[in-house]
Amino acid sequence: MIFLDPDKRVDLATAASHIGDGALLALGGGLSSRLPMALVRELVRQGRTGLHVVGSAHSMDVDLLVAAGALSICEESYVGFEQDLGLAPAYRRAAESGTITLRESCCVTILTQLRAAEMGLPFLPVRGIKGTDMRRLHPEYAETTCPFTGEVLVAVPPLIPDAALIHAPLGDLHGNLYLDKPYVLDERFAGASRAVIATVDRIVSTDELVEYGITIPAHYVQAVAEVPFGAHPASSYPNYAYDRDHMGVYVKAASKPESAAQYIEEWVMLPDGEDGYRAKLGEESLQRLTTWSESTETWKGLFA
Amino acid sequence: MTYTFDEWFVVTLARTISDREVVFHGFGSPCAQVAMHVAKRTHAPDMLLIEGAMYAVNPNPPFIPPTGNDSSLKQGAAYSMKFEEFFDAAIRGDVDRMFLSGGQIDAYGNTNVTAVGPLEKPKVKLGGGGGGCNISATIGQLTLWTTRHRSGRTLVDKCDFITDIGHVTPAGNRAELGYTGGGPQWMVTELGVFDYDSEGRARLIEVFSDVDVDTVREATGFEFTTAADVKTVASPTCAELAIVRGIDPLGVRKSEFDPAELTRTYDHVHDPGCNC
Repeated sequence: MIFLDPDKRVDLATAASHIGDGALLALGGGLSSRLPMALVRELVRQGRTGLHVVGSAHSMDVDLLVAAGALSICEESYVGFEQDLGLAPAYRRAAESGTITLRESCCVTILTQLRAAEMGLPFLPVRGIKGTDMRRLHPEYAETTCPFTGEVLVAVPPLIPDAALIHAPLGDLHGNLYLDKPYVLDERFAGASRAVIATVDRIVSTDELVEYGITIPAHYVQAVAEVPFGAHPASSYPNYAYDRDHMGVYVKAASKPESAAQYIEEWVMLPDGEDGYRAKLGEESLQRLTTWSESTETWKGLFA
Repeated sequence: MTYTFDEWFVVTLARTISDREVVFHGFGSPCAQVAMHVAKRTHAPDMLLIEGAMYAVNPNPPFIPPTGNDSSLKQGAAYSMKFEEFFDAAIRGDVDRMFLSGGQIDAYGNTNVTAVGPLEKPKVKLGGGGGGCNISATIGQLTLWTTRHRSGRTLVDKCDFITDIGHVTPAGNRAELGYTGGGPQWMVTELGVFDYDSEGRARLIEVFSDVDVDTVREATGFEFTTAADVKTVASPTCAELAIVRGIDPLGVRKSEFDPAELTRTYDHVHDPGCNC
């Protein structure tokens, strides 16, 4: 959809209020980079339930939604903490006990479905999938025969998220967003979704933003909230690296339902929301994450 | 000088890359990631190295971080692809090699990274396959690897779920499915190296110096043939070892191994192939 308001700035609670229970959400960023964590935490604070998420390779954003009982269907291509911190604890527990519906997908399939949505087409074909078990998770896929070659291909329907939750290092009041690569699927999410709900570490003037370059234009964006460290503990380069230590704290807590609940109580359900979250983390630990550019030794030291 | 098993393993993976190939690794794959940089700095200087999850082209990272999409991994790259640019190249057949692993791998090189046990109530929900499902069909060659062969649970007779395709699936072989990629060419495990025979089944061709063929058989859930002369995996050169240590000072590659495997240590012996 196209959004024409000249000033899209709202606070985080208002931004999150655009998302209803049961919404189909595209999660921006991936793995340890530019996860929309402030929006995820706010959705948990507001008690959202029944969410259906879709995207590529994700980690704590999905796992926290699962741990909080906010998620019903997971259509990400991967959820986990890579070799370093391992499988996603809450996601794994929910999948193994059947409390969430697994609709795991493939990056290429999701990309193709988003492109169908962007082009307003009823389907697009993919060459893969045949021979794998992916259709057991996706009875909605069909087959189509190429009218030119006769090749039989798997046909996938358009994917139209209700909203794409995207965190950007910089944005302006209109909702223009600058992203640092990798953009992952965020540009496609912006084109295919009904709305982009954005957080940015910092709102700057349009002139300054243009200097950096605009990755996602304002007309896709319904609301933008300024939330410093809004991707934490994921990275938001060039502003800050990911907080491996805090990811570790989360993964350890999430390994059991009781400690997962305690993490949420302690780190998410703070009366003053993100201000409280940053205060609890402390100025010093947050500033440390911004020192990555000082030297290779400093950068490497963040992950040692 | 001594070296450890993780270093030998990474070098063995690196040697599956040929010069002037376009090569990609997925996320959560530090051994393959380090291997690509070793190949680029030794025998494959003109490979196109696509850094997984960053899609950076020929980067020169100052170190390998513990996550696959930290910005350190695009340092020195003049260009980073967009996500869709990489996947388009992979599905139209412009990527020559990908590294692929799995919680389960069968004799034909089909891999499962989705779920162990019944899908409705998995025993273990694995992380998921990223983009592997589609691109395993079209990429030129696959180098499979696992660091968990010895567990007896990884190389299985039948995958509980096929996420990424090997040579032959219950729905047909690659030709019957219309796939243009060549499928698995090598499989490197912490016990040895397999290639694939004309029927698309894994065949043991090399073992590491502290492993015998019976150990490999006991750990493998499918029948396999062996080369007429099963050789010892070629040892790493000083130059390769120096590059492994230089590119991965944090030792991120070690996170893939059971701690017991990291105690495997070897004496470096100079041979004609070693130009140190």
